[in-house]
Amino acid sequence: MVSTRSTARTLIRPSSLTYVDFPWIIEHREDRCTLCGQCTSVCPREAIHLAYRRKRQPNFEVFGQKRGSEFGVFTGIKQETRMANSCIGCGMCEMVCPNDAIRPVPNDNEHRSLFFRNLNGDSYKRGGRRNQTGPTLLDRILFDRISMLTDPALDAGRHEFTVTTTLGRMLPPDEFLSRMRQGEWIPPTREIFPFIIGSMSFGALSPNMWLGLLQGVAYCNEVLGLPVVMCTGEGGCPPWILKSPYLKYIILQIASGYFGWDEIIRAIPEMQCLPAAIEIKYGQGAKPGDGGLLMWHKVSTLIARLRGVPPGVDLPSPPVHQTLYSIEESVMKMVQTLSMAFDNKVPVYPKISASTSAKSVLNNLVRNPYAGGMVIDGIDGGTGAAYNVSMDATGHPIASCLRECYLDLVRQGKQSEIPLFAAGGIGKNGNVAQNGMALIMLGASGVHLGKYIMQSAAGCLGNEMNRCNVCNLGICPKGITSQNPKLYRRLDQDQVAERLAETFQSINTEVKKIMAPLGRSQSLPIGMSDAIGINDQAAAERLHIKYLC
Amino acid sequence: MTTPLIKGRDEQGRRIGSMDFEKLIREAARTSSALSLEVYGQHNIGIRLQRPDGLRINVKGPSGQRLGCMGMPGTNIVCDGSTSDDVGYLNIGAEITVLGNATNGACNAMAGGKVFIGGSTGARGLTMTKWNPDYARPELWVLGSVGDSFAEFNCGGVAVVCGLEAKTPKNVLGYRPCVGMVGGWIFFRGEIDDSYAKNSARLAAPNDEQWQWLCENLPIFLQNIRREELLDTLLRRDEWQMLIAVTPQERAQIQAGPMPMAEFRQKHWNRAFGGDPLRDIAPGLLRGHIPAIVQGELRRKKPWWINRESAAPCAYYCPIHIPTGERLRLIREGKVADAYELLLRHTPLPASVCGAVCPQPCMDNCSRGQVDEVIVMQSLGRAVGEVEAPASASSTGKKVAIIGGGPAAMSAAWQLALAGIEAHIFEQDDKIGGKLAQVIPWERLPRQTWEKEVERFLAMPGVNVHLNSAMTKEKFLELKENYDFVIVAAGTHEPRRLNFPGSERVIPALDFLKTSKSANPMPVGKRVVIIGAGNVGCDVAYEAYQLGAETVTLVDIQKPLAFGKERENAEKLGATFRWPVITKAVTEEGLVMDSGEVIPADTVIISIGDVPALPFLPETVATIKVGGAAWITTGPGHQTSDAKVLATGDVEKPGLATDAMGAGKTAAEFIIAKISGQEFKPFAKGLVPPGALTLNHYAPRTVEASERNQAERCLSCATCRDCHLCETICPTGAISRKDMGARAGDPFGLKGNYVYASDDKKCIACGFCADTCPCGIWVLRPLP
Repeated sequence: MVSTRSTARTLIRPSSLTYVDFPWIIEHREDRCTLCGQCTSVCPREAIHLAYRRKRQPNFEVFGQKRGSEFGVFTGIKQETRMANSCIGCGMCEMVCPNDAIRPVPNDNEHRSLFFRNLNGDSYKRGGRRNQTGPTLLDRILFDRISMLTDPALDAGRHEFTVTTTLGRMLPPDEFLSRMRQGEWIPPTREIFPFIIGSMSFGALSPNMWLGLLQGVAYCNEVLGLPVVMCTGEGGCPPWILKSPYLKYIILQIASGYFGWDEIIRAIPEMQCLPAAIEIKYGQGAKPGDGGLLMWHKVSTLIARLRGVPPGVDLPSPPVHQTLYSIEESVMKMVQTLSMAFDNKVPVYPKISASTSAKSVLNNLVRNPYAGGMVIDGIDGGTGAAYNVSMDATGHPIASCLRECYLDLVRQGKQSEIPLFAAGGIGKNGNVAQNGMALIMLGASGVHLGKYIMQSAAGCLGNEMNRCNVCNLGICPKGITSQNPKLYRRLDQDQVAERLAETFQSINTEVKKIMAPLGRSQSLPIGMSDAIGINDQAAAERLHIKYLC
Repeated sequence: MTTPLIKGRDEQGRRIGSMDFEKLIREAARTSSALSLEVYGQHNIGIRLQRPDGLRINVKGPSGQRLGCMGMPGTNIVCDGSTSDDVGYLNIGAEITVLGNATNGACNAMAGGKVFIGGSTGARGLTMTKWNPDYARPELWVLGSVGDSFAEFNCGGVAVVCGLEAKTPKNVLGYRPCVGMVGGWIFFRGEIDDSYAKNSARLAAPNDEQWQWLCENLPIFLQNIRREELLDTLLRRDEWQMLIAVTPQERAQIQAGPMPMAEFRQKHWNRAFGGDPLRDIAPGLLRGHIPAIVQGELRRKKPWWINRESAAPCAYYCPIHIPTGERLRLIREGKVADAYELLLRHTPLPASVCGAVCPQPCMDNCSRGQVDEVIVMQSLGRAVGEVEAPASASSTGKKVAIIGGGPAAMSAAWQLALAGIEAHIFEQDDKIGGKLAQVIPWERLPRQTWEKEVERFLAMPGVNVHLNSAMTKEKFLELKENYDFVIVAAGTHEPRRLNFPGSERVIPALDFLKTSKSANPMPVGKRVVIIGAGNVGCDVAYEAYQLGAETVTLVDIQKPLAFGKERENAEKLGATFRWPVITKAVTEEGLVMDSGEVIPADTVIISIGDVPALPFLPETVATIKVGGAAWITTGPGHQTSDAKVLATGDVEKPGLATDAMGAGKTAAEFIIAKISGQEFKPFAKGLVPPGALTLNHYAPRTVEASERNQAERCLSCATCRDCHLCETICPTGAISRKDMGARAGDPFGLKGNYVYASDDKKCIACGFCADTCPCGIWVLRPLP
């Protein structure tokens, strides 16, 4: 009798897994561990525990009498091998460990656990974005038009730049002048910073995160002079914010779930200023054809109150607005209603997921005098919750879709009338200004950032190796996407605001660094595609840009 | 010595090229320390000229670009009029005076020397200057104003801009000076437009040292530009200001935001909402910053010491729920008598049932089996065979009639008697024990063991046995009338039969076994076939061999269910099993199968179970028909539809002797609760969850199966064994043990006389206590 029988008694099931089957492996160094308990305390998944392991020291004596075994025990931190407690690689254990004794390492083995993400017949849902690593197409675009001695050289640090873009419908000059003279309605526009904080709802985000973003946006506007705006997402907006002067920095989103719109309408008479714009969400790049997916564990009392729903219920939004039946009708009904709601003084525009049908939507917008622009959200966009299959395999990359739409406008001579905004994967590898400016030169008037902002302003741990990505479960270890105060209080609102300000300061500088060599300082190089190229002939042809080699 | 004059035009009045003119100057400077030039737009005048005794160059006429370019220390250049772009370009030491104005780029990249301008300058003056600390700083003095983009990337240069007779008196430093300036400073006098680069330079008044420097050097400047008369006008300290390069440390602070976030929150954010923006929809919501490792209410989960909240597998799976773990604990504590008494308070037949006939579901699930071998239970039961019965409580004056005298009845009677309630057993047979006494072969239940335990049972005060008492409807009603409760524990004494030709030739197993244990056993033939290959069939086979059978075949329509000792005994004697066998008939030859095959047999015995015989039961007691027989339906306390009648054991459903005893005990507890006016609480503990125990604390070992050894080997599932390991592992010292002393009314220490507690103020909910506890007592539960 030599060892415990627990292993002998283990029943092997089809879903029995060992730790090497998981995408993340906990590497624990017993020699460094002080058994302080902080790693197991902080782990959001209860994926690690203190383990007592048996050690057997057999006594081999060929002629002696002392044969037998001695047993001892050693301790260590061990990884769970149940799917429900699988390590997500967030690395919080490493963050709190005083001795650098523990860390998750990505497993480069095959991940057999992938075949068991469907236990109980549930499909795998998660947060984050498409799990595809490596440089994106946007990362590979180079700015190769550089004025040196050919044009007056501009210096990003020395020259003054106007780094803003126009949101809203721009009339052709003759029509503008004629309407001016007649005193007729002129579509509202806004001059905003071209990097916009895209729609992330109060609900998808924790209160500290959402308010931290707004505080940072206010700081950018009021202290740094950067006219940054943010979009609410479909979770509504707290009433005191609707009635505050900061509403002008906010794009209110209306989506198929209509959450929080009762509060918005109720607040209209008391608004001190108008919102920056209204975004009508028809689609999302991360999960085209699917609606919001806020699950019960994130519907706290506060979120329920704000959205006008009972607490603790699932809030899946329908994929489409229930009262719309065709493109023409969608554009007409929605754009006009929302334009009228704010006295036709606020730009109203739709957001769609990048797809082969984007041009059809765009052409309807061109014909609609109230439409103030269009946001196209590509497949690499992030989300707080979606089916993995939607995130990884459904959708269209942003670059070619945006480019096609822009060139379509160019053919109609309308590129200066309807601004296009691009979203989805901007800054995926950290190159936020480069990615954004590449899209601007492909024809975007500006870009929307979501995931990048969470990473930069709040230290989101998610990545495209499927690290963390548990936004949907309400267990965000950084407190960004949790509605549990025990988690979101880990995030300090002021610090988020500070980081946001730093982020935009830096984007602003990098945008200038990209614009200066082009000899541009006073208007964004929207559609200036002669300034970019790529070392991929097929992509160059598709995007109608230079092939660089 | 006359000063050589070098003309920029030849005799024909043609301009001499810059290259040739420079050669002429260089040549002249070799022999003379003073030169006079009449220039005509030549560039780079004075470039890299130097004499050990110094060199003075006077320039007249329109000078070209880069006057004093790469000027050397000791060289002194005076330009009588204005000069063109880049005066003092890359100058490293020359003193250059321009009595008029200078255009753009004055002092660009200058690293030493001085440039004095008697008028104003154009754009981009003093840009890219350098300063090597081994030498003096480069200086630019301007009487008037400077143009736009002044002092860009200035690294060490000092400028003095006097703002007198300025070209741009409203803005003496031009638009956006000091961009990228990292060193040096600028004295200026007069208005500026405040467009200087705030992240590179800061505005200040000259301090005493700086003012002193200015006072000492102004006269030199004025003398050079021949305007000494202006000294008084310029020496008014309050008219002078400075732009000084900020340090990288200061710049880092500026870049972190011109306003600290805390200040912004106070001055802007809070004012924008007139308070917390969530105060209406979430009043009092706490949002302040907390660390990742927290104590108290901020934890997401917390440990609970749930001693005895769940049941060990032995107690859970035992139909009587005998707390074997507690009993072994008492033995470990040296309280052997208490341990035995605890067992006897649960069962009157520990040696006969636990020690002999019970198939021991307790041991099937014993946790010790995951370390080495399960606890040996039989010896524990046998050890109590001859121990005296515990004392019963004083009489309550209540009495209960029990129909039947089998294990269910004995168990109920024993519990009632211990509780001071008179138990009257009405048994139709001439001996007590039911099937234990009537049909279980002595081989499996040693006679001596049985008789000793029956003796102890009968001696229990309050137990009254009425043998040979056949039950009738009338008698039953009479008992119901005269007793507080009636328990029906009559068992199953009606053999189940099958109808096929020759079924009258078949002997029921029950009858066969009953006679086998009597003085006059039934004779059997040489060849015996038993229909029904369960455990009772195996007992039949064993007895048949004892009575002279030579071959015994057990047949069944399905895979035989027989298991354990019964099957072993039968097989040891040579019994064979055949299945599937469907009996078509039984003839003189034997058993005829539906295939026509005949299994030869002299004797055929049928052993397919027994059913209750309940002709005495009144209609007030509801039954359910299953398999052609009526079974009494009961609730969790074994109560029937008749409030005064309970039913236990096989009359509810067939089971083990231990099942019957468990039922009898529970029924007795129901009655005891009713009589004492307390709420009846059936056994409701859950099984200690698999994985809750930490088994690796125990080393596997082989020991003799003594009672003492079993006590040591017991893992004490779900019951704290007071090992202090939790206290030892807790990293924050949160866990402590508190002695509570012995508790009243708890003779066996089942409630424990100590507790372990975790201090919420220290605990970080790491779960180490739960991961360590060998017994599965500590659990972490969510803290909402």
